[in-house]
Amino acid sequence: MTSLGQAEAAAYLYREALFLDRLDFDSWLDLYTADCLFWMPAWRDDGTQTEDPDRELSLIFYRGRRNLEDRVQRIRSGVSVSSAVMPRVAHLIGNVLAERVDDTTTRVDSSFIVNVQDLRANRSHAYFGRYEHELRLEGDGWKISRKVIRLMNDVVPTMLDVYGI
Amino acid sequence: MTKGFALRDLIDDRPQDGVFRVNRALFRDPTLFALEMKHVFEGGWVFIGLSTQAEHPHDYFTGFIGRVPIIVSRDGEGALRCFVNACPHKGVRLVQKLCGNARRHVCPYHSWTFDSAGTNRNIKWEKAGCYAAGFDEENHDLASVARFGEYRGFLFASLNADVPSLEEHLGETRKLIDLVVDKAPEGVELVPGRVTFTYAANWKMQLENCSDQYHFTSTHPSYIRILDQRARDQAPELVQAAFGAADFWQEDASGVTGGTYSFDHGHVLNWGVMPVSSAQPTYERAEELAREHGAARRNWMFNMRNLTIFPNMQIAENASSQLRVIRPIAHNLTEMQTWCIAPRGESAQARTLRIRQYEDFFNPTGMATPDDTVCYEEAQLGMAEQERPWLQGHARGLAASVAGGNAYSDMIDLRPARSVLADAQLCDESLFGSYYRAWAARMAGVLS
Repeated sequence: MTSLGQAEAAAYLYREALFLDRLDFDSWLDLYTADCLFWMPAWRDDGTQTEDPDRELSLIFYRGRRNLEDRVQRIRSGVSVSSAVMPRVAHLIGNVLAERVDDTTTRVDSSFIVNVQDLRANRSHAYFGRYEHELRLEGDGWKISRKVIRLMNDVVPTMLDVYGI
Repeated sequence: MTKGFALRDLIDDRPQDGVFRVNRALFRDPTLFALEMKHVFEGGWVFIGLSTQAEHPHDYFTGFIGRVPIIVSRDGEGALRCFVNACPHKGVRLVQKLCGNARRHVCPYHSWTFDSAGTNRNIKWEKAGCYAAGFDEENHDLASVARFGEYRGFLFASLNADVPSLEEHLGETRKLIDLVVDKAPEGVELVPGRVTFTYAANWKMQLENCSDQYHFTSTHPSYIRILDQRARDQAPELVQAAFGAADFWQEDASGVTGGTYSFDHGHVLNWGVMPVSSAQPTYERAEELAREHGAARRNWMFNMRNLTIFPNMQIAENASSQLRVIRPIAHNLTEMQTWCIAPRGESAQARTLRIRQYEDFFNPTGMATPDDTVCYEEAQLGMAEQERPWLQGHARGLAASVAGGNAYSDMIDLRPARSVLADAQLCDESLFGSYYRAWAARMAGVLS
C-alpha cells in the first residue's frame, strides 16, 4: 500500500468527524492506535500555546487510547450530570493539507469548527481551531497515532468534552 | 439614599436558635449584584495574583478588581506596584495584553506615556496644548490602588483605603498559605498554561463548592469510578489519583476523616486526612519537609486542603494543586481563572505527575469540574423560587461547630475562629456562615 493521498486523508478526517457528530464513540475509538497521543494544549499567554506537556499545562493530554476509553465510559456512565442531556454537535473541517512522511505515516493539517447545541441550557456555541493529525498504517488500515487540537476560543463556557472538539 | 435591602431578609443568622439560612436573592438579584461588586469586590481586599507573574524588572500582568481593570507592574527598582489600568486622559485601558515586559506603556488613543512605576513620562504636545492652570495641578500618573500588599508572594489589593491591614485581613490563614509555599525552599509558581472558563450562575456557587465536601460522591461518581478502575488496573498509561489512597471521601470510612475551620473576614478551610504517600508529587521531599518544618506541618502539607481567602481566591490541594480566582461578571455569570500552582524546583517527574493529575480533575475539559459547573447552573435556575426563599444548604454541622480549634489545628498552632471535626459523612456546611458574615460586613453600609 502506498501512502495516504490528499483526498483520502481528508476523507479520513471527515469520517472521524461524522462518528463524533453521531456520538458513535465505539467507531471513533476504533480510529485510534493503542499508543495514540491525544493532546489539546493550553494557552500560555495571548499569543503562545504550551509546548511541553510534561512541564506545562494542557487542556487535555492523553498518551494511550485507554484514556479516551475512560472519557467515553464517563460520558455513558449515566452518573455524570454534564453528560446527562447530550449536546448535538456538527463538525466542519476545512483547509485539509496532507503531507506524506513515509509509506506508513502521513501528517494532516486542518481547520475545524464544532457547532454545539447544548440542549440542557438551550444555548449554542462554536469551538474552533486547528487539528494536526498523524495517521499511521497499522496492519491493513490507517489509524490516528497522534492528534493535536489547537483550540482558539479557549474561554470555555461551562464545559467541553471530547465530542465538542 | 434609601437602603433597598434589609440584612435580616437576606441572611437569617440566629445561632441561639440553631438557624443559619441564606436567601436565594443573594444569587439571583441583579441590583444586589451591583452592590456586591461595589462593596464586596471594590470595597475591600481581593486577591490579584502571584509575585512570580511579574518576576523581573518591568514585567507586568493585567487583571481586574471588581469591574476595574488593573496592572501589576514591577518597576525598574524591582518593587511591585498596582495601578488602575486606565489612562488618566480619556480613561482608555492602557495595556491590553495579559502579561509582558515593558519599560514604557503608551496609551493607544493619544500616546500619553507611563513608565513601569506608573509615572507619567509624556503628554503628547503638552506645551502646544494651551492647557490652563487647573490641568497642571492634576496628577497625571496612573492611579495607584488604595491598598496593595503581599504575603509570601500572594498579592492582594483594595480599591478602598479604609480596610484593615493585609496582615489582619489574612490573620491565621497566613499559616495555611505557609503550608502551600513551604513545600519548596524557593516557594511556589504557576505552571505555564492558564485555563479560563465561565459558568452561567452566581459567583457564590463556586465560593461554596470549593468548601463543600457533601457534593463530592454525589456529583462525581463518574470520575470516582474511573479512579477506582485505574487503581485496579495500574496500567502505565493511566494516571493514578493523588487521593486514591485516602479515605476522607469514602462513605464507609470510620473515625475522624477531616473537618472544617472558619476564620475572621470570611476565610475558610475544609480538609481531609490524606496519607504521606507516593501518590502525591510532593512525596519526593517528604523527609526533608519533616526536617525543615516538623512532622506535623509536613503531614498537613499532604492533607487534602481547600482554602478560600474571601472573596475571590481559592487554593485546592486535593487531586492536584490548583489556584482559582473567581471573577463575577453578572448575577448569573462568573468567570473562573485557574492555574496549576506548584513548588518551584520540584523534579521533572513530580511536575509531570502533578500536571497529569490536574488536567483530568480540574479542567473544564476534564472529568470532574464540568459536573460541578453544570450543577451551579441548575442551581441558578432554582434560585428563581420565591415562595420559599430560604435555602436549606447551610445547616449541616451547625450542631457540631465549636468556637476555636481542635487537636488537629493545635498540631500546627493554627487558631481558627470556629471548627468542626468530621467523620466521612458529616460534611460540614456551617463553615459557609463565615462567607456570609464577611459578605454582610462588607455590605453593611448599603443594607438596613
